Amino acid sequence: MSEPLLSIRGLRAKVGGEDGEILRGVDLDLERGEVHALMGPNGSGKSTLAKVIAGHPAYEVTAGEILFEGEDVLELEPDERSRAGIFLAFQYPAEIPGVSIANFLRTAVNARLDEGEEMDVFGFQRTLTEKMEMLKMDPGFAARYVNDGFSGGEKKRNEILQMAVLRPALGVLDETDSGLDIDALKIVARGVNRLSEADEALGVLLITHYKRILNYIEPDTVHVMVAGRIAESGGASLADKLEAEGYDWLQQAAATV
Amino acid sequence: MSTVMAGPAESTLAAADFNALAGGLAEPEAVAGARAAAWERFTALPWPTRKSEEWRYTDLAKVGFDALAPVVPAPATAEALPADVREVLGRSGERAGVVVLREGRVAHLELEPEVARSGVVLCSIREAAERHPDVLRRALLEAQPAPAEEKLWALHLALLGGGYFLHVPRGVEMPAPVHAFHIVERAGTLSSAHSFVYGEAGARGAVIDEFFSDDLDAETVSLHGATITGEGGASIEYVALQRFGRGVKRFSAQHVAAGRDSRIVTFNVALGGDLSRADVTSRLDGPGGDSEMLALWFGDSDQHFDHHTLQHHAAPHAHSDLLFKGALTDSGSSVFRGLIRVDKGAQLTDAYQTNRNLLLSEGSHASALPNLEIEADDVRCSHGATIGQVEDGQLFYLMSRGLTRRQAERLLVFGFFDEVLGRLPMEGVRARVREAIEEKIGL
Repeated sequence: MSEPLLSIRGLRAKVGGEDGEILRGVDLDLERGEVHALMGPNGSGKSTLAKVIAGHPAYEVTAGEILFEGEDVLELEPDERSRAGIFLAFQYPAEIPGVSIANFLRTAVNARLDEGEEMDVFGFQRTLTEKMEMLKMDPGFAARYVNDGFSGGEKKRNEILQMAVLRPALGVLDETDSGLDIDALKIVARGVNRLSEADEALGVLLITHYKRILNYIEPDTVHVMVAGRIAESGGASLADKLEAEGYDWLQQAAATV
Repeated sequence: MSTVMAGPAESTLAAADFNALAGGLAEPEAVAGARAAAWERFTALPWPTRKSEEWRYTDLAKVGFDALAPVVPAPATAEALPADVREVLGRSGERAGVVVLREGRVAHLELEPEVARSGVVLCSIREAAERHPDVLRRALLEAQPAPAEEKLWALHLALLGGGYFLHVPRGVEMPAPVHAFHIVERAGTLSSAHSFVYGEAGARGAVIDEFFSDDLDAETVSLHGATITGEGGASIEYVALQRFGRGVKRFSAQHVAAGRDSRIVTFNVALGGDLSRADVTSRLDGPGGDSEMLALWFGDSDQHFDHHTLQHHAAPHAHSDLLFKGALTDSGSSVFRGLIRVDKGAQLTDAYQTNRNLLLSEGSHASALPNLEIEADDVRCSHGATIGQVEDGQLFYLMSRGLTRRQAERLLVFGFFDEVLGRLPMEGVRARVREAIEEKIGL
């Protein structure tokens, strides 16, 4: 158990079929139980990194590796990565008309059972109700079609709800704070904190554009991504510096490399 | 048994088959006469070929009608029913009545006493011919098959093994559906049954015709017809749930007549069999009539589903809405061919027709041929069809939650179907259909 929960080494990636690399040598280690914030200007590659970790088929990894609990996940399909314990909270979650949240989550929980293992239907229902309460969601929410006609805030809450029910080892939160008003942001942040409290080994990679959410979720480490690389890493105070000074100083430094 | 006689060149079934069948029956005149006339029509008509639009994608020459043994309508019993049917029958769910047909012959028929006391009649066609000859004759005569359908329709009536008649009197509302099981057990047979549903003014009724067989090891044909009539203000829900096993080829013709201010919902679900053809005709006879035509199919392996529809607006101010959705995988194939016909006098018609197809594999194939034929000048009609694949973004989203590609695809099919299921008015009916679809699709 000495290896990090997530270890990314020299990762390079591009959109399949295109030329320019978006990730140009990412190195990042995240230990169990840690919360890392990944910040950076628009277009620096933060969301691409999130999707590559989850195995989005549109991206092609050209070099490097992603080790999750010591295992190389690059050869795994997205569903295998999920069942291994990686969860991506999407920046723009897909809408699935006709499929209720309850049905969707039941299927996802079922997919984690071994052959012949029976699902605890009542246990599932209890967990779902409890997690929805935690996220201040109306009980009728479970019957709604996945993300169909949801407001931005409802979509983000739904992402955290899924994370709470599926209990991954690693949660990658891709701009979960964007588009949320302050009340919704607090609810989502409290949800994430409760998950961390309930599972001390839970690792979180929190991708954000703004420092705002870090007022509610305290990171152990802050990374700044510039032009497809981690340009700077530091403690929580790094986020304050970014807020005060912006990204220019890092972008200039990156340009001189 | 009669001696074998050579039939006319275009008739593949021997007259001996029919004579043996009809001769052994002491049938009431209404049935015997219709049967003999149908046989005459059958022998006189040529088999439709792929040259006709209606049979372009389904080749009747590939169905070995001449090798099949027509089932003689002898009495059938309800003993030793297939386990699958016993299981569904044994449930306590809400049901107004039960009919069990084996190879088209009524083996069991019961109506809840309470429902019977309200005046609802559920009986075999044979009994109906004696007790309600006028209603039966009218229903038979009113069902005018399209020319391309006529040959099979005639064969269906000529070889009719049996069927049931449900009559809901004026103003009576049935609390739950009648559930009819059409069971085919004998491989290599040709059997035929008919469902009559008649709602008087203001009546409300619902029926599920569920078709079942195990996988059969020889080509077997099941013919079925339904005549569904709603008088003024009646409301009728009719579901045909086809879950035959492999080996079975099924041909079904449904004729709906919607009277003034009536509302008739038909729902065809095709899941089983090798070949499943349904011709659904809805005629809007009175102003304010409303016909909702729904269908779902899911085909895998090399299954072939073929749906032909006609929304015939004969009266003004009526409404019809068709929504057919199919999903295919492996080398499954399907055809939808629909026509909205608006007669000259049918002003202020509101008619819609939508067919959507979802293809899950390279080898699957869907054809969609929606059509309009409008002679009135003040109408609102639209038709549309789509053939598409699962969206990559949805697939990735579901897989990122741990669903395998297959599970994700199947869940998306459920989502795709949900819009249609949601339009079934009776919850008990909806639950049974959903269950059968879940069983077929699996997750």
